[in-house]
Amino acid sequence: MAYDCLIIGGGLAGLTCGIKCLSEGLRTVIISSGMNALHFSSGSIDVFGYTRSKEPVNRPFDYIDMYTKERPDHPYAKMGSAGVREAIDFIVPQIARENLSLVTNGDENHFHVTGIGTLKPTYLSQPSVYNERIRAAWENREPIAVLNFEGYRDYYAEMAAEQLKKQPLFQGVDIFVDSIRLPYYAPTEKNLLEFRSIDLARVFDTEKYLPRIAGEIVKKAGNARIVCLPAFIGIRDYETIHRKLEEMTGRLIYEVPSLPPSILGMRLDNALKSRFAALGGEFSIGDTVNGGEIVSGLLDHVHTCNYGATRHRSKYYVLASGSFFSDGLRSEFNKITEPILGLTVNASQKRSEWYSEHFFDEASHPFLGYGVETNARLNPFDASGSPVENLFCAGALLCGYDPIREASGGGVAIATGYKAAREIIGLCRGARA
Amino acid sequence: MIKLENISFDHCLKCTVCTIYCPVAKVTHLFPGPKQSGPDAERLRIKNPELVDASLKYCSNCKRCEIACPSGVQIASIIQEAKWNYVRKGMFRPRDFFMSRTDLVGSIATRVSTIANFVLGLSLVKFFMEIILKIPMKSVFPSYASGTFVNKFSRLRKSQAPYANRVTYFHGCFVNYNNHRLGRDLVRVLNAMNIGIDITDEKCCGVPLIANGYLEKAKKNGIYNIRSLSRMQRANGGKIVSTSSSCSYALKHEYSHFLKLDNSAIYDDVEYITKFLFDQFEAGNMPAMNPVPLRVAYHSPCHLERLGGVIYTIDILKRIPGLDLVILHSECCGIAGTYGFKKEYYQISKRIGSQLFQLIEHVNPEFVVTDCETCSLQIESNTEYRVLHPVNLLAMALESMPEA
Repeated sequence: MAYDCLIIGGGLAGLTCGIKCLSEGLRTVIISSGMNALHFSSGSIDVFGYTRSKEPVNRPFDYIDMYTKERPDHPYAKMGSAGVREAIDFIVPQIARENLSLVTNGDENHFHVTGIGTLKPTYLSQPSVYNERIRAAWENREPIAVLNFEGYRDYYAEMAAEQLKKQPLFQGVDIFVDSIRLPYYAPTEKNLLEFRSIDLARVFDTEKYLPRIAGEIVKKAGNARIVCLPAFIGIRDYETIHRKLEEMTGRLIYEVPSLPPSILGMRLDNALKSRFAALGGEFSIGDTVNGGEIVSGLLDHVHTCNYGATRHRSKYYVLASGSFFSDGLRSEFNKITEPILGLTVNASQKRSEWYSEHFFDEASHPFLGYGVETNARLNPFDASGSPVENLFCAGALLCGYDPIREASGGGVAIATGYKAAREIIGLCRGARA
Repeated sequence: MIKLENISFDHCLKCTVCTIYCPVAKVTHLFPGPKQSGPDAERLRIKNPELVDASLKYCSNCKRCEIACPSGVQIASIIQEAKWNYVRKGMFRPRDFFMSRTDLVGSIATRVSTIANFVLGLSLVKFFMEIILKIPMKSVFPSYASGTFVNKFSRLRKSQAPYANRVTYFHGCFVNYNNHRLGRDLVRVLNAMNIGIDITDEKCCGVPLIANGYLEKAKKNGIYNIRSLSRMQRANGGKIVSTSSSCSYALKHEYSHFLKLDNSAIYDDVEYITKFLFDQFEAGNMPAMNPVPLRVAYHSPCHLERLGGVIYTIDILKRIPGLDLVILHSECCGIAGTYGFKKEYYQISKRIGSQLFQLIEHVNPEFVVTDCETCSLQIESNTEYRVLHPVNLLAMALESMPEA
């Protein structure tokens, strides 16, 4: 087969890896089983959000340097903070080429507001979630209007506002709740109560109703400088629509993620896939890789559900099949496995040790740190324990980190996806030279 | 009583990703989307079949919901099954009857193709078709060829005798009645690779029958095809190939999963043509090709996406020297077989396709390339562009082209 790189999994890690490989001229294919977990994400990218004692991290890259010294098995230890930074510096402009900018607060983390009104530290956000003007308005303690569409059921403005008021950052700030009405939307026979975020995002995408929506917002926003809306201000050309809406209302429009599907996450997915396609990548989504054969330390081929015996071959492979939700890791009664290739998994084989007693345990759950073990180059180990040298692992199936407790999932996906690509590019060049 | 083997809806997490990617729900709110019509409503229907609702009919069975689902729920199959469990059986539906009998209509029309094409083009006829059959006047029908491919092939049969390696070609209705060129091009391409072609008795694969609710008839055709193809396959020992992405999907997956037929005799041997060619090329059996200096835009049909077969077509196209290939973002064309030919779905079908048509116009290629016959009809009748099959391009590469 003429592929240089075959990537199993089309999420944040797989797509980052694919885009990097393509940018260096490698022929790259992604085989993805269904849609990725970005559809359920906040659309912000965390690098490192919380210390072990649950304190918010201010400077994530400095923290990585410190943390990985103590925890050399953390995926970040394989590239160091400089490698993480290089990966992010690569992918952000790639995403920007597809009309989606990601904003940072210099080297520091910033906060984004969750659907229930809590604050979470993160590193990269879309401009409707973080920018200099929003930061200034927060610091100036400007009034905030939390608005919802009347009848929209996937967002609870009252709850979000009540939580926000409790945050130290917003102590004493004037925060009020109201709802706006969706103007008459022509080809609809649907009850607004049945609208999902995606239906509303499509209304915004047409731009047709923007002036009417803006009028509604102005009516209800009163003296507020910041208007929080559930996130559905368009998908494909959202930045234009967001800018127009801000101009029309004279307010800062702030987006809060609502229940899935997450429009903020879909924008990232859309931008990454468009970039992958624009660079000539091949993307297969209807089929699932369900096995492969490792022969003397090398992955020989993989095969898929729909094509049974057919062998898909490539020079190099990347496994970025995700965690439990995406079936990259599987839990059986007393066993946690990597189901595609049966790679060595670092996990307790005692079910009772997988989880903590309390769901919201400060110490999190041990199973979140389970995953595939790799060497420094991200090569995993086969069932007999020897490394598979033409296979690299990236993203949520890796062990040694807890994406929830650390708030580090996005950063690990990008950093390891990029690192896998760098390794493969190096090997391809070496072979050519 | 709940059948325990049919509880894939139980794996639904209510994430709604399928509804995002449903082309029908995108353009009309008459269809509440695959999540609600499929796994959600299935729970109710199991308890009380009367709870079936009319919005199910808007599903075009493109299967993009199944492609998107992260949890492996057979959403489109749930909807298809529910849809046809509740059609009043025995009622004669003239339009659906004729539309789904592609082989019956085709075998008549090809005998009198000049007259048939002329008559079907008349405004008066179209007017009455809209009134009586509810087929919109603006629909452009595929023109019928004169005679059948099977007849034409009988003259070629002798020329196929010398080849030791053989395949069974399931030509399908479209090649037989409308597009002989694709069949002829396949013969050329395979012969150039030292492979001979056999054809055998076949009936319509059943895709339009399933889409129109004639499941018993589809099963009959399926049983006939499985028997006939496996007999031929045993005789010549080769693969069974099809140049239609939907026919191959049906022979392999709809027969076994949806119609619950035993197609194990042919399952491993049925292949969509680009997959077959890919394996041959990989094994070193690739014909010498001349440059084809054309700019083409490739559209991937929904059913080929569902099959995971798009990467093979792209691989084949990339091997044609000189071809300037643009891969279009994956969008449904909206036709979904017979769906877009029906008055009640005509506008929906056009609205679904509009995104794809815009993409094509933006790329402005010399030709569009796709694997599916009804996609090509939809694209040709809604854009200025002519559509080719990948096999057509391979055949062009075999001809000596003037230097570009």
